[in-house]
Amino acid sequence: MKRVVPPLIVFVVIIAGWYALAYSLDNNFASVDGSPLIVPPPHMLFDGMNAPTWQRITSALAISAITAIVGLLISLVVGVSLGVVMSFSRALESALWPWLIALQVTPIIVLTPIIVRIIGASFGARVVVTVLISFFPIASNTLFGMRGVPRALHDIFTLARASRWRRLTQLQLPAASPAIFAGLRVSAGLAVIGAIVGDFFFTRGTPGLGRLVVFFFQDTRSGPMFVTALVAIFVGLGFFVTVSLLRRLLVSPWDHN
Amino acid sequence: MPVGDAPVGDTSVAAMLVVRGVSHRFTDHDVIHDVSLTLSSGEIVAIVGPSGCGKTTLLRACAGLVSPSHGTIERHATKIGFVFQEPALLAWRRVEANARLLVDGEHVNGDTDGDGDVIVEQLLAVSGLAEHRHKWPHELSGGMKMRLSLVRTLAAKPQLVLLDEPFGALDQLTRHHLHDEFLRLHAQQRFTALMVTHAIDEAVYLADRVVVMSPAPGRIIAEFEVAQHVPHSPASRESSRRYDPSFAALCGRIAARLGDHS
Repeated sequence: MKRVVPPLIVFVVIIAGWYALAYSLDNNFASVDGSPLIVPPPHMLFDGMNAPTWQRITSALAISAITAIVGLLISLVVGVSLGVVMSFSRALESALWPWLIALQVTPIIVLTPIIVRIIGASFGARVVVTVLISFFPIASNTLFGMRGVPRALHDIFTLARASRWRRLTQLQLPAASPAIFAGLRVSAGLAVIGAIVGDFFFTRGTPGLGRLVVFFFQDTRSGPMFVTALVAIFVGLGFFVTVSLLRRLLVSPWDHN
Repeated sequence: MPVGDAPVGDTSVAAMLVVRGVSHRFTDHDVIHDVSLTLSSGEIVAIVGPSGCGKTTLLRACAGLVSPSHGTIERHATKIGFVFQEPALLAWRRVEANARLLVDGEHVNGDTDGDGDVIVEQLLAVSGLAEHRHKWPHELSGGMKMRLSLVRTLAAKPQLVLLDEPFGALDQLTRHHLHDEFLRLHAQQRFTALMVTHAIDEAVYLADRVVVMSPAPGRIIAEFEVAQHVPHSPASRESSRRYDPSFAALCGRIAARLGDHS
């Protein structure tokens, strides 16, 4: 009960606030038929929806979700690889780290037009934007996780004359996996943002969720606009839940720190 | 200045570990100074000394994890086991998989005779861990974790085992249990052991020979053959000898020797 009731109360407050906003805005409803123009109250959310509109949202969802998934998977590979490479050599770490920080503090979104110009407005360009936005937390957490392996554990592998590969796969990566998952959780959120926001810059082809929101906004179709935004929220939620479940399955049973 | 008692006699045949004039320097100061020590095959030797006297450094040097600044260390063992003060278990492996860690490695290297599984099973049974084989390390008590650490080390059948205050973090009762378990396993496998401890009674109870080190830079200032001082030990390995007056007397003499230099 204690875990369900408080969030439920907040939910009621949000709905109430939503209604308050919808009915306090000037000119929120068309004088002709009373349909909502800016913020649809919750019960009118689906009023403007029809089959073709659902169709547009579904294909936008497909494009954004696949971009985020592929981007996040590549971020995982790139991030873990970079973390591993940097943990192998202090020289490589000091060579790469400042540039990773520079990339991290760059608002990648402003680079999107350049990337689109170079690669073309393709699926590949969407994924590149997503990867650039989302790989850093995985890379840094992999590095810190691998650096945090206790010396005694390293000594055991040294005395067993373990190969570097065995040390990596049986010691360092498993030891770093809680940190990697913490990074993955942050990166998952960033990948969704990258896939949806990056979409604003793709002016051709099927729109993703980001550009579809803009279309519905321009057409003053506030209902579908809100539905599209909600779908985007659920994409983010889906990523978060998936990563949490994977963590619970793979790491939580043994990680008690 | 004469330092310690360099062991005499023929060290070529049965010697498992020969330390000759080893000194080690960290940036600006010596941590150990001119240490010489020989361990015969099957012998258990304990090093006692105040904290910071370089015991751990000496042990790591004996394992080959550190190259000493001066002196030489000969190891006549192909497999060396190391037991740390902390259990140093792999948290992501269950008890059985932890016990198999160093045995599995042998399979990869392809130089095993295939009896690793048998040894692991036997050690798990002897140490009372068999029924906990599917647990995660965090589900074990401190004593069980240390047992598992010993099992993992001995499963690889090392000829030389180095132990760095292995029972230091345990309560008295658990420690006594593990002492006897350690001696039972030693009787089975006849490995050679060099153990660092700050507990004098532990050193006297477990070791054939107790080596006393001075505060930093650590030198050997005395050696005691336990059998010469405590009658029916160590051959009989009766746990009752803990309560023999001669046991307490030897502990007292070692403590006095340590006290001289602290």
